[in-house]
Amino acid sequence: MAARSVCRAGSAAGRALLWGPRPAAALLTLTRKRGAATYAQTLQNIPETQVTTLENGLRVASEESNQPTCTVGLWIEAGSRYEDTKTNGAAFFMEHMAFKGTKKRPGSAFEKEVESLGAHLNGYTSREQTAFYIKALSKDMPKVVELLSDLVQNCALEDSQIEKERGVILQELKELDSNLADVTFDYLHATAYQGTSLAHTVEGTTENIKRLTRADLASYVDIHFKAPRMVLAAAGGISHRELVDAAKQHFTGAPLTHKGDSVPTLKHCRFTGSEIRARDDALPLAHIALAVEGPGWADPDNVVLNVANAIIGRYDRTFGGGTNQSSKLATLAVKHNLCHSFEPFNTSYSDTGLFGFHFVSDPLSVDDMMFCAQGEWMRLCTSTTESEVTRAKNYLRNAMVAQLDGTTRVCENIGSHLLHYGRRIPLEEWDARISAVDARMVRDVCSKYIYDKCPALAAVGPVEQLLDYNRIRSGMYWVRL
Amino acid sequence: MLSVAARAGPFAPFVSAAAHAVPGPLRPLAPAAAHRDHKVPLDVKRPLLCRESLSGRAARGGLVASASLNAPAGVRCVHNDVTVPDFSAYRRQDVQDASASSQGSSNSRKGFSYLMTAATGVATAYVAKNVVTQFISSLSASADVLALSKIEIKLSDIPEGKNMAFKWRGKPLFVRHRTQAEISQEAGVDVSQLRDPQHDLDRVKKPEWVILVGVCTHLGCVPIANAGDFGGYYCPCHGSHYDASGRIRKGPAPLNLEVPVYQFIGDDTVVVG
Repeated sequence: MAARSVCRAGSAAGRALLWGPRPAAALLTLTRKRGAATYAQTLQNIPETQVTTLENGLRVASEESNQPTCTVGLWIEAGSRYEDTKTNGAAFFMEHMAFKGTKKRPGSAFEKEVESLGAHLNGYTSREQTAFYIKALSKDMPKVVELLSDLVQNCALEDSQIEKERGVILQELKELDSNLADVTFDYLHATAYQGTSLAHTVEGTTENIKRLTRADLASYVDIHFKAPRMVLAAAGGISHRELVDAAKQHFTGAPLTHKGDSVPTLKHCRFTGSEIRARDDALPLAHIALAVEGPGWADPDNVVLNVANAIIGRYDRTFGGGTNQSSKLATLAVKHNLCHSFEPFNTSYSDTGLFGFHFVSDPLSVDDMMFCAQGEWMRLCTSTTESEVTRAKNYLRNAMVAQLDGTTRVCENIGSHLLHYGRRIPLEEWDARISAVDARMVRDVCSKYIYDKCPALAAVGPVEQLLDYNRIRSGMYWVRL
Repeated sequence: MLSVAARAGPFAPFVSAAAHAVPGPLRPLAPAAAHRDHKVPLDVKRPLLCRESLSGRAARGGLVASASLNAPAGVRCVHNDVTVPDFSAYRRQDVQDASASSQGSSNSRKGFSYLMTAATGVATAYVAKNVVTQFISSLSASADVLALSKIEIKLSDIPEGKNMAFKWRGKPLFVRHRTQAEISQEAGVDVSQLRDPQHDLDRVKKPEWVILVGVCTHLGCVPIANAGDFGGYYCPCHGSHYDASGRIRKGPAPLNLEVPVYQFIGDDTVVVG
């Protein structure tokens, strides 16, 4: 009785805690009249990306958006794919060396100057592109452009620094070895693209790290850091004209033009249906990645494949939905305790890609999870329904738009789009392409890439229960008319 | 939020106690830490002391060398050093070139493999069927038993006008070498008058040889050759008269004497059965 009265009292107070004081009636009408812009209106009102190509081939692109900060960066068509077995690791080494000073600003002078602006310098190297970007106040944009040009053209590459970095990179390799998800993906590339340059890891081999000299790094820069392969992207409170002026001032130098005929071309990388298993029963969880060959960046099938991935969904143990999740595979995973987490992926390169899924599970659930995941793929190829496609499209639209929060994300979007597609694809166009997808398209495109194709498989950890390759290959089709 | 719930007391059920984070669309959550039921002893000699390696969750990074008497020695560095061996010796011709897409030849490679599988399947089914039928048919009658079902008769042993009797399949077999007079006599019989109408030439292959099963069609006695009113056979049990063609002419028998399956081999031999 007492408890019930306490609860009742609690309910009144509880409501107040939840919702706060009621807004005054006058305020309410104001909010009602303002109204929110529609989704379509918002997309149309995004400022256009302006692109200018300089004489030496450098592309300058920016999106002005009236903000006090900006992100300016250089996206370069260089990465581990452009290396061979002897030079594998040069790109990663270069990224380390880039922050260690230039000829104009030796030692820590470069970093000090960046920090004195209150700016943030960052960079990353991947298989097909390298990026350096600085987040700063909009008014500092010309200085930032000068710093970037200095970094890319005049890297100091001091011998003492190089020797010091060797140890640092080797230590970093050891630490990366404990991130099993990344190890699995590296193994997946190593087996799927065996014998080609996409099999190389971004960081390189320990032998190469120990062996690379100043000459190797300098020649790498000389070949790859050239204006026609670079995009200077910017987003934030900067004006395109000013950006182009700054670029013209700092980026038209001799080091940025290709010497004669030395333009490196990318050879196609052959995909091999194969597997690699790094079995280690001492590890607690198994990491498994399965992928088929997917399309390159510019292929319109990518939109449909991303919708398919949104249908498959993601899951990990911290999800609160339990057995009530929209992803069928996630519901199965919870009901039968199949895995700790899973996620699909669609990694694209310029002319090929990996479309697949990765999961982490207990040693005794590996087989069941693989069975259910492949079953989901088969279901996608044969019986996708309109309602789940609609749900997936909405999820994808949401993700595309939400991704572009902040000048850095927008800047990266501009840089990578220009490298991959040759132009910035506006959100309106993405929206139109996503809307055009229906269940039939999902079935057709999925069948084209998944059905009865030889996959690449990478497995790390206690993977005894993972069936042999022939069985997994048999899971890529159904015996049916 | 958890602390608010704790302090809320009786209001706890009405205060949102969402202690779990909602995952964003792009930032994956870190996977939950693995639950280890048993304690891992602290190994201070581990080269890399970090949370993962202490709890045994790190792959054994760093240089690991092993040598022994009766197991392979090896050196394992970081995962970056693992290279997939070159399998060119096993590759099909279409996929030897590392800079050509494997998609183009994918259909033809699959087609070849499936064709080989299907052909082998058909061949195996054929062989299996043959093996099984051979084993099962070995349970049926053997050759010597089957041989008993045929009889080979030397025709030159039978003079004209004589009827010889043989034992065949447990029954008497009559082989009669007919004279020309008997042949023409039987050919001239009016078929419509017979109880079991059959022309003589329908009952013989060569007119001078008539081969009959010597069992009376009445009640199964053996007729006597060269007896009776019609120059053929006479059954003494109930008085059935058969002619030289074995057809019933008088008496209680309903049908003509049975003509078995026979075949002339060469000029001198007939195989009955």
